[in-house]
Order: sequence, then structure tokens, then C-alpha cells
Amino acid sequence: MTFLSWPTAILAGTIAFPLLLLLYFLKLRRQERRVSSTLLWRKAIEDLQVNSPFQRLRRSLLLLLQCLVFIALLTAIANPMARFTRMPGRRVVILIDHSASMNALEPTGKSSTSMTTRLEQAKQAAVMFVNQMPADSQAMVIGFADRASVECSFTDDKRLLRERIESIPPTDAVARISEALELAGAYGHPDVIDSQRATAALPADADAPANRPSNVEVELFSDGRISDLGSPTDSHAGPSSRDESSSPRTRNVTPGITPGAIERLGRFQYVRIGQAVDNAGIVGFDVRRDLERPGYLNVFVEVENFGPDSIRSDVTLLVDDKPLIHRGAVQEISLGAAGGTGDAPAGRTVMFELEQESGSVILVRWERTDALAADNEVQAVLLPPRSIRALIVTDRAPVDVFLRKPMAELFVQDITRMHPKDYETVPESRLAENGRSLYDVIFMDGHDTNRLPPGNYVFFGGLPILEGISRIGDVVGKSLVYGRESHPLLRSVSYESLFVGRWKKLALPSSTVSLVESEDSVVMAFLAEPRHKYVILAFDLLDSDFPVRPAFPIFLQNIVEYLAGGGASETGQIYQAGETVLLNVPAGAQRATIEAPRPESGRRTETLDLLERAILPYAGTQRAGLYRMRFDDALRTSSAFAVNLMDRRESQIAPQQEILLGSQRLIADDDARPTAQSLWPYAVGLALALVLLEWWVYSRRVQV
Amino acid sequence: MPDPTTVSVPHEPTEVLLDSDFMRRLEQLEIRARRIHTARQAGERRSRRKGESAEFADYREYSVGDDIRHIDWNVYARLERLFLKLFLEAEELHVSILLDVSASMAFGSPSKALYAKRIAAALAYIGLCRQDRVGLYAFHHQLVGRLSGLRGRHHTMRAMQFLQQASIDGESHFSNAARQFALSHTQGGVILILSDFLDKHGYEVGLRHLLGRRLDIYLLQILAPEERTPNLTGDLKLVDCEDGGVAEVTISRPLVERYRSNLKAHCDGLSAFCARRGIHYLFTPTDQTVESILLTTLRQRGLVR
Repeated sequence: MTFLSWPTAILAGTIAFPLLLLLYFLKLRRQERRVSSTLLWRKAIEDLQVNSPFQRLRRSLLLLLQCLVFIALLTAIANPMARFTRMPGRRVVILIDHSASMNALEPTGKSSTSMTTRLEQAKQAAVMFVNQMPADSQAMVIGFADRASVECSFTDDKRLLRERIESIPPTDAVARISEALELAGAYGHPDVIDSQRATAALPADADAPANRPSNVEVELFSDGRISDLGSPTDSHAGPSSRDESSSPRTRNVTPGITPGAIERLGRFQYVRIGQAVDNAGIVGFDVRRDLERPGYLNVFVEVENFGPDSIRSDVTLLVDDKPLIHRGAVQEISLGAAGGTGDAPAGRTVMFELEQESGSVILVRWERTDALAADNEVQAVLLPPRSIRALIVTDRAPVDVFLRKPMAELFVQDITRMHPKDYETVPESRLAENGRSLYDVIFMDGHDTNRLPPGNYVFFGGLPILEGISRIGDVVGKSLVYGRESHPLLRSVSYESLFVGRWKKLALPSSTVSLVESEDSVVMAFLAEPRHKYVILAFDLLDSDFPVRPAFPIFLQNIVEYLAGGGASETGQIYQAGETVLLNVPAGAQRATIEAPRPESGRRTETLDLLERAILPYAGTQRAGLYRMRFDDALRTSSAFAVNLMDRRESQIAPQQEILLGSQRLIADDDARPTAQSLWPYAVGLALALVLLEWWVYSRRVQV
Repeated sequence: MPDPTTVSVPHEPTEVLLDSDFMRRLEQLEIRARRIHTARQAGERRSRRKGESAEFADYREYSVGDDIRHIDWNVYARLERLFLKLFLEAEELHVSILLDVSASMAFGSPSKALYAKRIAAALAYIGLCRQDRVGLYAFHHQLVGRLSGLRGRHHTMRAMQFLQQASIDGESHFSNAARQFALSHTQGGVILILSDFLDKHGYEVGLRHLLGRRLDIYLLQILAPEERTPNLTGDLKLVDCEDGGVAEVTISRPLVERYRSNLKAHCDGLSAFCARRGIHYLFTPTDQTVESILLTTLRQRGLVR
């Protein structure tokens, strides 16, 4: 048995015990009795008090009982616990996984009717752990899903810890632990002694003294379904887990986690949460317009069974929450058991085709109730096929041809050509409306201009006349050495084989994103300013072989998709939970109101200040569902986007018995889980019994 | 200050202090004085002082200055030496009874006061029967009642009424009362003091006042069994019935033992004080009958015979 709050009990005893004795002297309602003389009594009292100051306390059964009552109450305050398997350390980092798989429903206790989520179970386990911590222990709470957040830095305030644990929200994001471990390592660094300093500043150079081991213990409350963790064994290996864990691990290194993050921390304890394994869900989803028939949509859905049994269920397609009545809108799918042992495969792809001209919300539902509901639905916001307008400002016919032809294939319905001189002289109304360009994208061929209504511009050899942008020389015969392939504008664009004969060396503002570079200069750059976006190519299009390369139409498609927000694919409006969404801000909008889904309590509305930004990055996509935005511009523009789970790791909810964390193999030992029994109710019961005994003794007026 | 001659209104019903059978037995007794007392008036009592009565007592050799009328000439004729013939002197004895009527005497069952009154009545009756000069005095913080100069059996009723009507009240101050008595009482004689001597002002001063009066002092300390072995329990606020003083006690065995040892020390101290000064001390518990006190104990101690 151990006492969790013994300092409190000692403090209470130090204060209260003398008070009890004092009260014992003061509280007595002495019975008045007349005697012939108090002469001898007084003398007797004086004699006894001289001999022993506490003589009157001696052999007082009532006081003895009161002391026992008091000791019992102090014991209750000290919070005695029955022996449990291990004692928590003095500094503990509590990691709580609140990713999508933690929303899986689990039966509570022995009752199979009442259900609770794994996250709630994890919180309960964490709260129990906090309750059992010794009084001199400190803990911090980190919640992690796709990103980690410090809910509470190191403190010994158990009430605060419990509050922060309870306040961790559920998400539908993918679990990644690396950031949480970095945070824990930084906060638990030996140099960061107390929680106050830890909250004030992280160690500036956390890696330098990393060799010093930390005295921090890590308690991980999770189901083990963490995307950047290894799983040496998987008791319920599905197709995806087979893919992930079948490769032999020659070294115990978990990808995505820096070794320093692990080594800076002390002992790890993995508390496995959850038992459920039965889940099937939608793991892939795409909506595309038919290239031949823009009014037709192709919806692709990939469903997969992660449970141990074969299942059969319907996949239903709904448009604007209404089921379609035509044939093929509901498809019955049979899926084999996870692991592919049965006749039917565990995963299948389902395709729907529908005619849909107008904008709508496409929702596909896997009609089966299982432990995890978040992966049973996917949805996408379908934009109407809108006409994209492009303006080509050039006086050269070849350039017009090179640009017009591929763009016509990209559903750019309105392509206008304008001579540079005309561009500079046409009335403003032919270029802009409501403070915004009439064209979705404007191509400038070798033309420098300062006539730049808010909009999207691509300069081939020309430059926007802006502060900080200028030509500072010519570059000839150099090769291209770098391309930012991760940028949406260069997605799938092969720049290595691109030949550019000459280009201008440019001076660009520091906020410019370099897309393609040579050894000493920028060849292609992207500049985003409030209400303007510029793609600047430092070379003349005809000085390169870019227009005749296959990369060119892809590049133009990226431009149309990224700058103008259009294209054949609708998947640009489908996001995974936790993903940062870049929202195009309409002209004149100052604020955006975003309604986010929250399955537990309806929708949550938040208002964001746009701060003159043309693109609003929105990272609050923690829950799967439909997000609606309203802008306060003149047109009251509204739009929507959908967030879906679509992650095999999270859909495969079978909790991991063993996880690989860096070089540590963590085994969830259920027996090692704290099973301490709080004994304070018994102490209180004993105190009550003693109070009754004392009352009985008092009533009997026993001669003492 | 109340008039010492007046008697307070009784607060107890009048009780018969002596029954006739006991009175008959008392008539056979007399109070003895150990000292030789000079009475102003000759009494029926044969004094140990040699004097003028007809009763022969002893011889002694003649010395110059002796009254030659008392020379026994027959002895001179036989022995040719002069001897004086001594005769016993008859004198009356002053018997004073000081009765403590303070509030503390009301305790006990029967009360110490009633017990003391019975002893006082018995001794007064013995004195009256023997033609002694009997004086009854009631006191608490001073003398509060006095009935003195009684002689002869016919005063018995007065004495009884005085005792019966003496009210039990007030704070005890024996020294004060004894000083008062000593100032007013110049004759010798026998004095009996009936009290519990639980006097916060002490008893020494009072007894010294009495010692200066050549009195044969008999001191009867009367205590109830409840005082000797207190039957108290729990947490008590003991209130002194005389002065209202409070002692808060938690009754425990050590405390009771301490009380009893203090009581014994108090009684022993009183006894020792008396013994050193020739005072007759008699511890008188109320659970002993008055008859046994009178007929046995006081006889053994030589007060009566």
C-alpha cells in the first residue's frame, strides 16, 4: 500500500491534531455538580497537572477514540492505494492519442449495450494514472493526432491535469507521434527543470546536450495505430498492415522519428486502449468529370474490410443527401476477412457514374454499423463546370498558338488575345470588375506592365512592375539545377530535360518562392501578394523548348488548377482530416465564417480575420465532414469543401499489442496496467464506525 | 453582620434529635474535663482542684504559708510531722459546643449538619443533666447563633429548639468564628467543635485563639461517605456550594486517588496539629451511629464517662 497524498495528510494532521486537542479541552460540556468544597479537588488537579501536563488526557477513552477517528480521516486524506504493479516516475509525460482510430466505439465494462470511444477510455486511464501519481510527481499532457499539442506543461496540480486530459477533443486525423516525442523530449530535457521554464521557452539547442538522459517517463495511451510507428507483430494483420510490416526490419529504427527524440526521453510505457477489431470502411475516394462528357461524373470508392470475418453490405451514393434512384446508385459489396484468407478479397473498388451538371455534394456511404463510423462516409463538394477565362497578352502568333491549344483542352472556354499596346489602353472595365480581374489567368508574353488588376498573372519573359522586381543581367548557356517539385505548379512537370537558351537574371522580393533555379539565378518564381498571384518565367518562351515539351500542357494545367481553381478533377476539393486547406479569398472579403462539422455536438462555427490575404490557409480540418465557408465580400461568396478520413492505418482499428518506437520495442502488458484500488473509502468507513463507538461510549458514561 | 444571638429560620423540617431511650442512656454520662477549671460558681462537679468541699482527697506536707486550719492534728500526734488534709473542690463545668452550620454541612445522607446537631444535642443534654453550664454556638463565617448559660435539665427543650432551628447556610470561616468565641468566652471549660473543617481559610488560626483560653478542646471532624469516596464520573464542573468556586475536572482514577490522598493528608494534618497542642481530635464519619460515637468513641477518648 502506498499513500498518494501523504504530504497533504501530514499538513492536515499538523494543523488539525493540536486543534483536536484544543477542542477536546474547550468543547466539553461539563456537567455541573455541587460539592461541599472544591478545596481538595483543586489541590488534586494542581497536583496532577504539576506531575503531568497531559494527565487529563491520560486514559481518556473518548479522546483515544477521537484520535483514532482523526487518524482514520487523515489516512483517507493521504489517499492510500493498494499495491499496484509499478510506481510512476517523478516526471511523466502523458501522451494521449486522439486520432481517428481512437473514435472507435468500445463496450464499457461488462455491459455490451453502452458504448464509449477509445479516446474516452484513454482519458479515463490517463486520469486514473494521474490520480495514482505520488504527490511529488509532475506530469505533462500532450495530445497528438496528425500534429501534437501540449495540453498542459509539467505540473503537480492533479486537478489541472485532469481538466486538460478531459478537454482533449476527438479528431479524425491520422496519428503521428514524432512531433509529440519531439515536444516531450524538449520539455523533458534535463536542462528544463521546472514546468514554468518549460512553458516559457524550449531549449534553444535541444540536440546539443541530448546525450544526457532525461529522467522523464513517457506514458503512451493509444491503440498503437500510429502512422509513423513500426509494428513488429500484428495480431490482426490486414492487407495494409501486411504491406507495412512485412518488410523485414534489419534495424530497429522507426521512420519519421529522430533518434534524439527517443533517447532524450526515459522509460516508455505503452498503455493499450481498446479491444475492437471489427471495422470496414472507405479508404479511397475520387470524383472526376468525364473528359468526353463534362456533365458526367465518375465516382471511385475503395472499400476495405479490416475485421476478422467476411462481411456484406451496401455502398450507397447520395447527392445533396438524397439517394439516387437510378440503377447502380446502391451496390452490394462482399468483402472477405482481413488477411485475404477467404474467397472474396478484403478490399474492392466501387465505381459510380452519374450525370451532374450543377454543383452539389456527393456522398458515398458504407451502409454497415461498425466500431468506427468516421470511415463509413466520404463526401466531396462538386463545383459546377464553370467557364475559365484566360487572357493572352502577346503580339506573337506562335506564343498564342502554344498557349491557346493546350488550354482549350483544359476546358478553358474563353481565351482572349490582346496586343500589349491594347492591354495598356483598354478601359478598366474590360480588364476588371468589382475590383477583380475579369480573367482567371492572364498570360503576359514579354511585356512589362504595372496595369495589374487583382488577379493571377503568368509572365513569360516580362515582369510585373513592382517594387523589388527588376532585371539585373543576362544569363546564357547555363543549365537548370533545381526545381521545387513539391510545389503545386510544378507537380508532374519534368524540368530536368528543359532547355532554356537564355534568360534574365532577376532581382526578386524575399517573399518570392523559387520554383526553378540555375546555378546562380532564378529561372521560374512564384510570388503571392494580397489579391495578386504572379508566376514569373525569366525566359522568353520562344528561347526554350518548353512549349513543345510534354511538360508544358501539364504546367498549364497546374496553372489553371492552382491559380484559377478549375480543372477536370474534383479531387482538389477533397481533403484528408488534419490537412491544411488553402482557400481562395474573394475580392473585398475581410472575414470568413467557417462552419466545421462536429459529430458529437452538431456544427461549430468560427470566424477568421482574412488580413488582406488572397489565400487563406485553414488548418482546423480535424473532423471529417463538410465544411462551409461564407465570406463577407459584396457578393457574399460561399463555398464548401469536404474532409474525409481515407486512411488505412486509422481504419484498421485492431489495437497493436506491440509497437516499435525507435530502438525500443514496447509491449502492451495489460497486467502491468495500474490496477490500484483506492482505500480511502474504507478509511472513511472506519472513521464513521469509530464515531459511532465513541458515541456509544459517551452515552454509557463509562466510569474511567 | 447578623446578630449572633438570633437563630436563622430553619430550612430543614424539624427533626427529633434525640429519642427518649437514647436520652435515658445519656443521663448516666457526664462530661469530663481534663484540666482544672476555675468556675465562678460552685457546682455539682468534683473538681480535681483541691479545695473546700467536705470530701477528702489527699495529704501533703505542710509548708510555710499554708492555712493551719487544714493541718491534721491526729497525724501530727502520731507522726510528729505536720500534714495538711486536702479536700476535693466542687465546681461547675462550662461546656461550649461550636456547631458548624455552613452550607457544606448540608451534604451527605443523612446530612453532616443533622449528624452534628444530634451529637451536639446529646452532649448538651449530658451537660444539662449534670448541671454543667452549657453554651451552644452556631457558626459559619462568624458566630451566627448563640444560646449560652444553660444550666439544668429544664433547658433541654431550649437547647433542642436552638439546634433544630439553626439553618444551614453560608460560607465557612472557622478562624473568624473561633476568634469571636474566644473574645467573648473568658471562662475555661470544655469546648466541642463539630465541623467538617473543609475550610478554605484554614483552621490553625482559629484553634490557636481557642488554645489561649485554657479550654479543654474536643474537635470532631464530621465527613460524609460521599466526601471520603466520591461517586463522580465523566467531565464535571464542580461547584463549591459555599463560595461558588468552580473546579473543572475529568474524573479519572488517578484524580480520585489524588483526592483521597489529599483528604487523608488534610485529616492527618488536622489530627497532627491537634495532637501537638493537646487538642482532642476525633474523625467522625456520618456512617457511624451517633449512639456509638457518644457511648463508645467519646467514652474511650475520655470526653464522657
